[in-house]
Amino acid sequence: MSTSVSEPQAAQAIRIADVCKNYGDYQVLKNINAEVARGEVVVICGPSGSGKSTLIRTVNRLEEINSGGISFEGQNIHAPMRGSELNKLRSRIGFVFQSFNLFPHLSVVENVSMSPIRVKGVAPDVAHDKALKLLDRVGLADKANSYPGQLSGGQQQRVAIARALAMEPPVMLFDEPTSALDPEMVGEVLSVMKSLAAEGMTMLCVTHEMGFARDVADRIWFIDAGEILETAPPEEFFKNPRHPRAQRFLADLRH
Amino acid sequence: MIQDFITIIQDYWLLLLIGQYPNGPLGGLANTLILSALAIAFAFPVSILMALARLSKWWFLRWPMTALVYVTRGVPLLMLILWCYFVIPLWTGADVPSFLIMLVTLVIYQGAFLSEVVRAGIVSLGQGQMDAARALGHGYMSAMRFVILPQALYNMIPSMISTFVSTIKDTTLGYVINVPDLTFAASQVNNQLLTQPFQVFLILAVVYYILCWSLTFVANSVERRIARRRAGPRNARLPAEAAPLKTITEQL
Repeated sequence: MSTSVSEPQAAQAIRIADVCKNYGDYQVLKNINAEVARGEVVVICGPSGSGKSTLIRTVNRLEEINSGGISFEGQNIHAPMRGSELNKLRSRIGFVFQSFNLFPHLSVVENVSMSPIRVKGVAPDVAHDKALKLLDRVGLADKANSYPGQLSGGQQQRVAIARALAMEPPVMLFDEPTSALDPEMVGEVLSVMKSLAAEGMTMLCVTHEMGFARDVADRIWFIDAGEILETAPPEEFFKNPRHPRAQRFLADLRH
Repeated sequence: MIQDFITIIQDYWLLLLIGQYPNGPLGGLANTLILSALAIAFAFPVSILMALARLSKWWFLRWPMTALVYVTRGVPLLMLILWCYFVIPLWTGADVPSFLIMLVTLVIYQGAFLSEVVRAGIVSLGQGQMDAARALGHGYMSAMRFVILPQALYNMIPSMISTFVSTIKDTTLGYVINVPDLTFAASQVNNQLLTQPFQVFLILAVVYYILCWSLTFVANSVERRIARRRAGPRNARLPAEAAPLKTITEQL
C-alpha cells in the first residue's frame, strides 16, 4: 500500500541542508549539510555528546531545528505543515531506538501490526499476517504471542526493527540500536541490519559498532561537537582519516 | 445486642434499601449505589480530559484547568457542596434537585483528584513511548489512545481505585443537602428509634465497608489478571512499582 502523493523524485532519499539547532546558548548542530542517496547505507560515528542522536532525531522531526531544512524524498519535513501531513511523512521513515521502546501492553505481534492498522488503515488480518512474516524474517516467529517483557534485549530490538518495517518505509533510521544490549546480543541485531542493507534498504545509522560500519556502510559521517568533520567510504575512513579529530577518535578506539 | 441489629434490619430494611420509594424519591442504598456509579462513570472520562488539558501545549487549556484542579484540591468537599447547592440555583434560576447538585460536585471534585493520578501515570511513562508512537506516524490523540493511556491507566489502577472508593464514601456528604441516600435513610431510622444510634450507625458502617471493600477486591483481581497475562521475568515488577503510589493516595 503506497501513500504516494505526487512527489518530485529526488535522487537523494534524505537531504540535510544548513541545519542548526540550539539548546539555549548551546549549539548542538552547527550548519550540517549532508545527503543520503537511495539505497545507501550511512553510518554516523563520533564521540558521545557530539550530536549524533540529535541529528538523526531531526530527520523524522522528533527534534525540531532552529534553521535549515531536511528533505525526505524531496519534501522538507521541517516546513510548516499540518499535523496529519507530518504524521504521513513520519510513517514512511522507520526509526529504531536505543532503548527499543516497544509497547509493553501489547503482544509482540500486536506491536508490529498495530500501527499499520491504526495509522494506514490496513485490514487487521492482513496486518497480522504481514507482522508474522516480518517476525519470521527477524527470527522471532515463535515469540509472536509473547509480551515484550518476556524477551531479551536483543529479541526486543529485533521486534522493534520488524515494527518499523511493518510500515513499509523506504528509509530506516537507527539510533544506537545496539548500545543498550548485552555484548552477546549485539550480533543478532547487527545481522538483521546487515540483511536489510543487503536488500537495498536506505539506512542511516548512529552506531559505535565499527565492524558493522566497515562491512556494511557505503559511507561514514564523522561528527564531533555538532559538525560533520569528515564523510568518506569506510575503507578510506578507517585507513586514512583526514581530519585530526577523526584520527584521534580512531586511535582511541583501538586502545 | 445481636437481636437489636436483627430487629432494626427486619423493620427498616426496605427504607435502608430504597428509601421512601415508591411513595417518595428513591433513596437508601439504591440511591447511594446510583450516585456512586454515576459519579465514577462521569469523573473517569472527565479526569482524562482534565489531565490531557493540563499536559496540553496550549495555554488556554492548561491554565484554566490547572487553576480548577488547584482550587478544587485546596477546598474541603463540604464547602464545594454547599457552594454548588446555593450558587447553582442562583445562576440557573431553576430548582435543581439536590441529587444532581451532589453528582456534579462529586464529578468535579473527584475528577480533579483523578486527573492528577492520570497525569502522573502519563508523565511516569517517559518520552520514549510517545516518541515511538509518533515515529510510526501516530498523531497525538492516536498515540494517547492506543499507546499512552492503556499503559498509564493500567499502572494507575491502585490509585484510581482509592479515588473511586473515596467517591463512594464522599456520597455520604450529600446528607447535608438532603440527598436521600443510605446515610440519610439511616439517620431517619435513628430519628424514629431515638435510643439505638450505635446499632443503626454500625449497620451503616458495615454496609459502606462491604461496598468499598468489594470494589477494591474486584479491581485487584482484574489487575492481577492483566498482570498474569503479561507476566514475564521483567514485567513481574510492574504491579510492585505501582504499589507505593497506592499507599500515598490512600492517605489523602
